Amino acid sequence: MTGGMTRPLSRRARVLLPLSVLLVVLASWEAAVQATRTQGLVPHPGGVLWSGAQLTANGVIFQAMSGSLARVLIGFLFGACVGIPLGLAVGAFGTLDRALRPVLDALRSIAPIAWIPMAILWLGVRGNAALFVVAYGAVFPFIVNSSQAVRQVDRRLLSAARALGAGRWVMLRSVLLPSALPMIFTGARIALAFAWASIIAAELAVGIKVAGHGRSVAGIGQLMVETLYVKRDVDALVFYMLVVGLVSFAIDAGLRRVQERLLPWKSH
Amino acid sequence: MEKPLDELVRLQGVGMVYQSSRDGERVEALAGIDFSVRRGEFLTVVGPSGCGKSTLLSLIAGFAAPTSGSVLFEGRPVDGPDPARGVMFQEYALFPWRTVAGNVEFGPFARGVDAATRRARAQTLIDLVGLKGFERRYPHELSGGMRQRCALARMLANEPTLWLMDEPLAAVDLQTRIILQDELLRLWGDARAGAQRPTVMFVTHGIDEAVLLADRILVLGRRPGRIKEVLEVDLPRPRAALRGSAEVARLTAHLWELIRDEAAQAIAEETQ
Ligand SMILES: Nc1ncnc2c1ncn2[C@@H]1O[C@H](COP(=O)(O)OP(=O)(O)OP(=O)(O)O)[C@@H](O)[C@H]1O
Ligand SMILES: [Mg+2]
Repeated sequence: MTGGMTRPLSRRARVLLPLSVLLVVLASWEAAVQATRTQGLVPHPGGVLWSGAQLTANGVIFQAMSGSLARVLIGFLFGACVGIPLGLAVGAFGTLDRALRPVLDALRSIAPIAWIPMAILWLGVRGNAALFVVAYGAVFPFIVNSSQAVRQVDRRLLSAARALGAGRWVMLRSVLLPSALPMIFTGARIALAFAWASIIAAELAVGIKVAGHGRSVAGIGQLMVETLYVKRDVDALVFYMLVVGLVSFAIDAGLRRVQERLLPWKSH
Repeated sequence: MEKPLDELVRLQGVGMVYQSSRDGERVEALAGIDFSVRRGEFLTVVGPSGCGKSTLLSLIAGFAAPTSGSVLFEGRPVDGPDPARGVMFQEYALFPWRTVAGNVEFGPFARGVDAATRRARAQTLIDLVGLKGFERRYPHELSGGMRQRCALARMLANEPTLWLMDEPLAAVDLQTRIILQDELLRLWGDARAGAQRPTVMFVTHGIDEAVLLADRILVLGRRPGRIKEVLEVDLPRPRAALRGSAEVARLTAHLWELIRDEAAQAIAEETQ
């Protein structure tokens, strides 16, 4: 069906064609930067490669990455611990939904990143402000998806379970929870994507780490600010961007694998 | 012909009115139902679409309470579902996150039967309904017929006194349906004497199926559902041998006479 009027490509051509296009683009990019002598302002593939090798060798990238990832993980777990029970309760009890909806909707409408100034004011720039923003962003996908999951539970399954003798506890643990799980998991993937996107933004906004306070762990965002203002190393910047993209891809792929393992009854 | 006269379910002046929570519109699904289900009988229920057959079953199952009259099971008013009244739905309603074995085990599990006992019971039933080898499959990996076998085994695992079956074979193809009819009869005890059989209440749209399986046929009229007729089916058992016989054909034709006009009217109303 694909390919319009042309013949389908052979397997080798399907790999080689895009690869060679990429190589040509990179090579002409490199040549253009060399020819125009714009190194330092415009990044070029060779420089990115070189910076990448250096930052990997001296461990800077790993340190920054682990700082950011740790905050994402804590924020994500916080979002799950608060968001899942709250969402389940809101979905199950109409009164609670009525009572909390205006507040939740209002809070959800405020972009996490808009909290940065307040967070800095309250928590300082040592990474806690960024953590706050991440947790804030992660909590809502959990609430929204968990509550929706409970509302969408197949009533016939509830009837079937009741007819088979299920009491309250069995109903909750062995019917409601498993039937809500796939949707909660989708919420988790959204939450993690949110968290990873907002950690970079938050760290960029928090800015260069305050030196000399041993406790502060700079993240990838802070490293980028420092690279921009202090080191002016555009090649390193591009390297960081690539790593950020790669990590978010890896996180989602990992979660998808976990989902397949944990929820084998869903055809993904 | 000897029939057990002991009544298992008694419906007294049962009426059911649904009220939509959105626009407050009232739908009268059942009105003035007086009827008793005999212990050990195979009762089939037929009637035009929307006449309240599913509603009747769900009242006896205990999913809903009637808006008038009373429903008695073994002499006591029904309040809520009970494992003694097993239910099978048209749309399988299997738990998608549980395997075949997990689904069959659910009843005993919910009632706190220990793991070893419920495993053994589930395995026996899985073998009995012909799902051996599929224990570890999930419902989405099964054909329609296999899903219904699984739902049947799941219902049987609680050893219910009453089997409430709402069009259980409507979603499977004709050949599978014939095979499952025979197996259902076998599991119910078609070849045994009447007294120790479980009691079945089986809703169906298939009038030949209604005749072939039943000791009695409850014919409901158009909405609001009222009892139009109760037919005794005095055919010998086991029934599988009678499939396609002249007696069955004659009764089927008679049943069709009874419901034809109402079925046509129901369709005309629905398409308006
Ligand atoms: N939960 C409900 N709320 C409102 N109306 C309902 C509800 N359940 C059933 N009804 C209405 O009650 C009437 C009887 O429905 P019921 O499902 O019992 O009919 P049925 O005989 O089983 O139909 P079918 O043969 O199509 O399965 C229908 O008009 C239906 O629209
Ligand atoms: Mg129905």
